[in-house]
Formats: sequence, structure tokens, C-alpha cells
Amino acid sequence: MSAPLIDALDHQLIEILSKDARISNRKIAADLGVTEGTVRGRIKRLQQEGMIAFTAITSFGLANSAKLAFIGVQTDVDQVKQIAAEIAELPMVNAVLITMGRFNILTFCLFSELDKLHAVASDQILAIKGVHHVETSIAVKTVKYNSRIVKITKDEKLIASDK
Amino acid sequence: MSDDFPVDEMDLAIVEQLRINGRATNQQIADKLELTAATVSARIRRMEKADKLRVVAVSDFAAHGFNVLMEVAIEVDGRAASEVVDELSEFPEVFAAHLVTGRYDIDLLIALHEFDDLHDLLLSKFSQVRGIRSMVPAIAVDVIKYKFDVAPIDARMKA
Repeated sequence: MSAPLIDALDHQLIEILSKDARISNRKIAADLGVTEGTVRGRIKRLQQEGMIAFTAITSFGLANSAKLAFIGVQTDVDQVKQIAAEIAELPMVNAVLITMGRFNILTFCLFSELDKLHAVASDQILAIKGVHHVETSIAVKTVKYNSRIVKITKDEKLIASDK
Repeated sequence: MSDDFPVDEMDLAIVEQLRINGRATNQQIADKLELTAATVSARIRRMEKADKLRVVAVSDFAAHGFNVLMEVAIEVDGRAASEVVDELSEFPEVFAAHLVTGRYDIDLLIALHEFDDLHDLLLSKFSQVRGIRSMVPAIAVDVIKYKFDVAPIDARMKA
């Protein structure tokens, strides 16, 4: 599949909408000097191609002290996809990547209390058949994090095209 | 008005509508929930002001031409890890940089347009940063889950 073409206007739209998704098409059109129809059409196409997704990011339910941890997982190589899918079902796990390197699977986990993180890593993940080793590393300080660039997985694409 | 207030049922209902369609107008949300557009607008603004809510577009790595994603764990030697991470986070290829506990001192997430860019990143950029003892990469070959609608909201996320 060839990469979809994203032009300068698309990038300007993404830039504006990544700051605030609730700006009206009319305001965007006026700012960029294009018609409202163009704005509407571009946004629809970007959504359908899975290039952008609109989301309401909330912080409630997270204690102010919410921390990020990385859990690296070593598994039987022939079961990695299935194990990754199983880990992805865990609610505290925010991201699951299949990797080549010192782990087969890398997960990002948001937690507020240390014992909850331990339960995910050492009870739930380690108990999955085919998992041999987990290694947890806690982020004590985030120096840089661009939360507006993400991997839009199939589920979000489906939601976007349903609209 | 205090910035810290309990989120109530009405707030949650509005957030649910925003999750379905972040670009729904206040009037559309108001009609669905039998509220007035002014109430919807005020509730959204109150949550945003208290850093409880952001309604944004997120864009895919591919939209920015990033085709290679990797995590790199770094061991620091002979220099404060906080200094090394500050320098590393200046590079645009680094989209996340954390100081971490454990065997390594710094954890980076790196996005590249193509594998050839690794050459320049390693030999012209990272090699200029003093204090890096070793770097161990993990190359992402598949992304199974990437959830982004719950996150601590702080100054870095403000528009």
C-alpha cells in the first residue's frame, strides 16, 4: 500500500486541530484562506485514511501522581502476536509494541500505586503462558513527550469512518 | 472559581459525546443530552481550564512521514543523567525522553522517516552528546495497542 499524500495544507490543518479540535470549519477556513468545503473535505479524508483521530483526553481517574512505566517482556518467539494481544486486554496497559531487540514485547503502563504496577507486571503478564521474563522500568521524570503524534490503530480508524 | 471540582454525571455525559465525535458542535451535544448549548460550552471550558480535559486531533506517525519507530535504552557514565537527557531531547527525532529506574538511566522513543536516517542520528548527533556509555535499541515491528485518551494533562499539553 502506497503512503497517502499529505500536503502542506493538510499539515496546517493538523497543526491547528492538534491544539484545539473544537474550532469551527468556518474559523479554520478564514485563517487558512480556503473555503469551508475544502476544510470539511480535507478533515474527512484525513480521518478516513487513519491519519488523524479526534479525541477527548481526560485526566480524571488518574491521581495527580500518575506515573509511567515501561514493561519489557521476553516470550516464546512463535507466540509473540498472541501474547501481545492478551497483554493489550489489560486495562492499565496503554500501549503494546512488538519489538526486535532485548524484548519481544514492550508495553507502556500508567499507574498510580506501585503495588498495582507490580500486579500487572509480575502477576498478570508473567502468568501468561509463553512469557519467560518481565523487566519493569519506571519513568521518574518526563523530559519530553509529544502526545499529539500517535499510532492510530484499526479500532480508531473504524470509529473515525463510522462518523 | 476553584480549579479543582468534582466531575459530575453531566460532565461525563459531555465527555462521552466528545469521544464519539470531538468536533460535534455545542448545539449538537446539547440536543442529545437535553441541555442548552451555553451549559455545554461552560462545562467544557471549566474542565479544560482545570486541566481535566483536552479535545484535540492526534495524528498518526505516518502523517508525518515517520515509518520507523524504536525505543532506545541508554546507560550514562561520568555525567549526570539529567544533563544527558536534556541534550538528547533537543533532537527532533526524539519524541519522548524519560529518566528511568532500573538497569538503564534514560529511555527514548525515536521516530525516523527511514532506516537510513539512523546513520546521521547516531554518528552526527548522539555521538556529540557526552556521557553516553551504551545504547540498546528495540525496533517496533508492530503496534498492537496505542491508547491515548487518558493521560495526565499538564503544562506541556497546553495549546
